[in-house]
Amino acid sequence: MKLAFIYFLTGLLAYFILPEAYLYTVGFAMLFAALSASWDLTVGYTGQVNLGHTTFVGLGAYIFAVLLAGRLGFEFNIYVAFLAAILVSASLGAAFGAIALRLRGYYFALITAILPLVFMQTVFIFSEVFGGEEGFSIGLERGVTPEWRYLFALLVSFAVLSILLLIVRSRFGVRFMAIRDNEELAEAIGIDTTKYKVLSFTISSAMAGFVGAAIVLYRITVSPDLYSVDLMLMIILASVVGGIGTIYGPFFFGLLVYLLKVFVVREFLLSFGLRMSDEIILYAILIIAAIMMPNGIAAMFKRHIKRID
Amino acid sequence: MSAVASLVIYGAVIGGIWALVAAGFSLIFGVMRVLNFGHGAIFISAAYATVAFAAFGMHIAFVGSLLIGLAVGLIIYFLIKPVRKKEITAVIVTLAFALLVQHLLLLIFGNRGLTVQPVVDGLFEVFGAKFAAIRVVTLIAAILVLLALETVMRTSFGKQITAVSEDSDAAMLLGIDVERVYLLVILISSLLAAIAGYFYVQVFSVNPELGLKVLIYAFAIVILGGLGSIKGSVISSFILGYIIAATILFLSPRWSELVMLLAIVLTLIIRPYGIFGVKE
Repeated sequence: MKLAFIYFLTGLLAYFILPEAYLYTVGFAMLFAALSASWDLTVGYTGQVNLGHTTFVGLGAYIFAVLLAGRLGFEFNIYVAFLAAILVSASLGAAFGAIALRLRGYYFALITAILPLVFMQTVFIFSEVFGGEEGFSIGLERGVTPEWRYLFALLVSFAVLSILLLIVRSRFGVRFMAIRDNEELAEAIGIDTTKYKVLSFTISSAMAGFVGAAIVLYRITVSPDLYSVDLMLMIILASVVGGIGTIYGPFFFGLLVYLLKVFVVREFLLSFGLRMSDEIILYAILIIAAIMMPNGIAAMFKRHIKRID
Repeated sequence: MSAVASLVIYGAVIGGIWALVAAGFSLIFGVMRVLNFGHGAIFISAAYATVAFAAFGMHIAFVGSLLIGLAVGLIIYFLIKPVRKKEITAVIVTLAFALLVQHLLLLIFGNRGLTVQPVVDGLFEVFGAKFAAIRVVTLIAAILVLLALETVMRTSFGKQITAVSEDSDAAMLLGIDVERVYLLVILISSLLAAIAGYFYVQVFSVNPELGLKVLIYAFAIVILGGLGSIKGSVISSFILGYIIAATILFLSPRWSELVMLLAIVLTLIIRPYGIFGVKE
């Protein structure tokens, strides 16, 4: 927990030091970091390869935005909208988990990979509510005001990080890890493995929904990119490079990867006047890095974390 | 009657094309134990190669699309090679490659749907429903290619593939060149996906995002048909093809992914290990 508080204080300090132009991106990076840390609960701690995390990010974001902006004819209170986003993501996670988590290994990975693309289609099917390709804006007046935006992102990310740390260090966390390390053995010593796998997946999905809603409040708009495979790959990348099964690793590397993506890759492209999406460069670097050092950084990072905490 | 006839042909064409993609994906998994997220990239590259070479005639476009498909498959082989033992890293590498191809195609060809003049013109008429002849040709081609695959699997090389998929270490001890089997399996699978891409772009229109979409359908098919089972993939391709065709005809194409997910979820509730899958 010590590191989480250091993070919060550093974040607070950065608010007074960093120029305002940078704060927006840093705040966004914090929300992204919360996403990759919440992914780690299912994948790193419970050992279930979930490739559909963005389903719940998008779902939470859209539920929140639709309710808050009154796209169904009635404007809901912000707290109700937040609660609904979390509850819907959690229920879908629980229902889907109960069916899909009976599948092992590769099959679970495949069926979760299908999810975000399917849910992305709902945006186009019900485009009068969800706004189709372009998405919609919740209106400037409903978002967080620019001066509070950064602090809001810091608080959300700190809350998610702390809750995750508390969970993995509780008796639930121990059971999750037992399932990851040896499912048969976990079952033999009396752990209801299906129940705990579903629980882990549900918590992880609820957090994704919560952060998804926070992203909407942060950037005022909602669009199908929150469901996208590109976002999913960024989460996997940050987590695997940071070291899954550590919470801290995916969190801090999420922060780092996002900042690198914006400040280094985008600037690089701009300086050469290349008019193309920064993703192309990012994926090329990613492929090379993954092949050259499959577990280099992760292992190194893990050792240091143990020493600090 | 004409609605039934068009459903029969339409579903079979979709099923045939997906069977080519899914059988290759499943074959690669069965032999190498790698989920090749780049498999859709082979399909979509071949489809766009057909668009690019169409000006030189459809026969040259056929050769061109197969060569491009094989080249992309070869790239994937070399990308997977160092990370074969690490399942998540293999997913990252192949998924990043798939997205890279998608963004490159977007850069070169743009986002609008493209299609080409089919290699055969004309219409068929069955029970009062009219079909473009290319659909029937596509279906026949898909069936012939799948039969050819079946024949290959019965040769001594096919037996080597089966041996490696069952136990690669034991296969190596028997003197099978496992690395060569890996390479050839990827090339065969690429060929199947490339043929699917060549025909798909003549029947439907393509856009860069289709690479991922086709991959998602391949996932759905192998979940139902069982990973590593070619026969299961082919049968569930046609089942899913008919479900999707019915959805497109009676609802709208936009519902097809949702209906597909619903079909999978229902199947899994009744049979948790897929239609042809066995309990692990």
